[in-house]
Amino acid sequence: MEFYLKVLEITSLHTILVLGAYLMTGLTGLFSLGQGAFLSIGAYTAAISYLYFHVPFPLAVVLAVLIGSLVGFLIGIPVLRLHRDYFLLVTFGFSEMVRATLLHLAQLTGGALGIAGIPKLVGLPTILASILFITFLIFNLKRSRFGRNCIAIRDDELAASLMGINVYGHKMKVFILSSAITSYGGALYAFVIMFIEPNLFHWLESGKLIVITFIGGVNSITGAIIISVAYYSFGEFFRFVDVWRDVLLSIAVLLVTIFRPKGIFGSWELSLTKLFRRRGKGM
Amino acid sequence: MEVLRITNLCKDFGGVSAVVQFGMVQQENEITGIIGPNGAGKTTVFNLITGIYPVDSGEIWFYGKRITGYPSHKITALGITRTFQNIRLFRNLNVLDNVKTAYGVKTRYTMWEEMVRYGRVREEEKRTEELARGFLSYFGLEKHSDSFPYNLPYGLQRRLELARALMASPRLLLLDEPGAGLNPKEIRQLMETLMRIQQEKGLSIIIVEHHMELVMNICKTIHVLDFGKKIAEGKPEEIQQNEAVLHAYLGDQV
Repeated sequence: MEFYLKVLEITSLHTILVLGAYLMTGLTGLFSLGQGAFLSIGAYTAAISYLYFHVPFPLAVVLAVLIGSLVGFLIGIPVLRLHRDYFLLVTFGFSEMVRATLLHLAQLTGGALGIAGIPKLVGLPTILASILFITFLIFNLKRSRFGRNCIAIRDDELAASLMGINVYGHKMKVFILSSAITSYGGALYAFVIMFIEPNLFHWLESGKLIVITFIGGVNSITGAIIISVAYYSFGEFFRFVDVWRDVLLSIAVLLVTIFRPKGIFGSWELSLTKLFRRRGKGM
Repeated sequence: MEVLRITNLCKDFGGVSAVVQFGMVQQENEITGIIGPNGAGKTTVFNLITGIYPVDSGEIWFYGKRITGYPSHKITALGITRTFQNIRLFRNLNVLDNVKTAYGVKTRYTMWEEMVRYGRVREEEKRTEELARGFLSYFGLEKHSDSFPYNLPYGLQRRLELARALMASPRLLLLDEPGAGLNPKEIRQLMETLMRIQQEKGLSIIIVEHHMELVMNICKTIHVLDFGKKIAEGKPEEIQQNEAVLHAYLGDQV
């Protein structure tokens, strides 16, 4: 039982990160390998302020989100002027930079030894409630002007700006929001896993977040969540397949790009109102 | 009333002069044509007006406001919208949402209100939806509101682009070869539609076009470009008789 609970916790933690990546890569088409950096910033800010500065836990989480968003804003200023592969490379560099900084600021971060002895203050209910709340926010954004602008920018930046969309400004909003969500996930991460170190989330993991949103379907939040749950819980349950799970993921990527280029779920969204309406009619 | 005034507009692309000392004045409620052989710089003029390229020199005024150097989205918000020579619709948004995107400049709610679906968001979204559906039925696209734009036949894609450009409630509409790839029947439909929207909405329209039938029939004034320079300006009848224009299109007589 303990084991299943643990698996669920880790899976849902990753789902928060996938939601952050969904907003950025899925909806807006910004391929960022910097998500890991924001996770680390969130985790370290929360852990350090709680352990060393005795900031109360909720405040530590708020602080993590604020600092994550602030860094997102500062990094966003130059990075969002870049496109496609350049954007990818610079966010990758940023993520490695954060990792190196954490490694060398040993007095504060414990260097390669990391920070141990973080109390376990976050349980499954908190994480699940967070997922529901974040999904609610993103879903609302997706179905009104914000979401349309995101997709318009992803499809054709020039046409988007000629439809009156401030492309740079909008990307900035997306970048900051995504950083905020990811640092929030990072803050929770620290208080669930109870131990953090600079290598806990390197760029390959950021890459996986992108891959997961693509397999789920860039136009479907439901898809991103389902594939995220499937991938991360599969990984924990089938520890014995070990390295092979990345091989399986790669095969899945190949099959999806060939046979369902818009992702497994395409543009399909689970709609609660429709679900209930159908049930109501049935009775 | 003067809608648009362009003076001494110049643009070079690495030694190639795309537009040289171009000037024009657009009056309110009129349809104006810009014609010229391929590569004459017609589309470049549009790209300069809408801020896609920075201008090298010259000034652009819109309703007495100097808009030279403005970013594209601000120019759109002021009331200039356009269509493209090669259709540029948003392929991952359905037909209805494509039209809705253009109304973003008119909606006033903030991102925070959107997140929690605050009352104002619902109201404005409802209004956007009604308006968008109105434009779709105006252009006979209401059946296709849920399809994706690139699954539509070419003629309908052109109409959708026009609907999207009108959704931003422009005061000046720039049409870049609206008749390209349309058959004669569709061209006539297009002419009727353009005249009708121009009258109903009190719009000013500038058209870049190769179809002489279209330009000669609906434009009040025509500007002729050749190698970036304006070689003639006048009423359709005058342009048809103009020596320089005939020369540019047909070459020297043997």
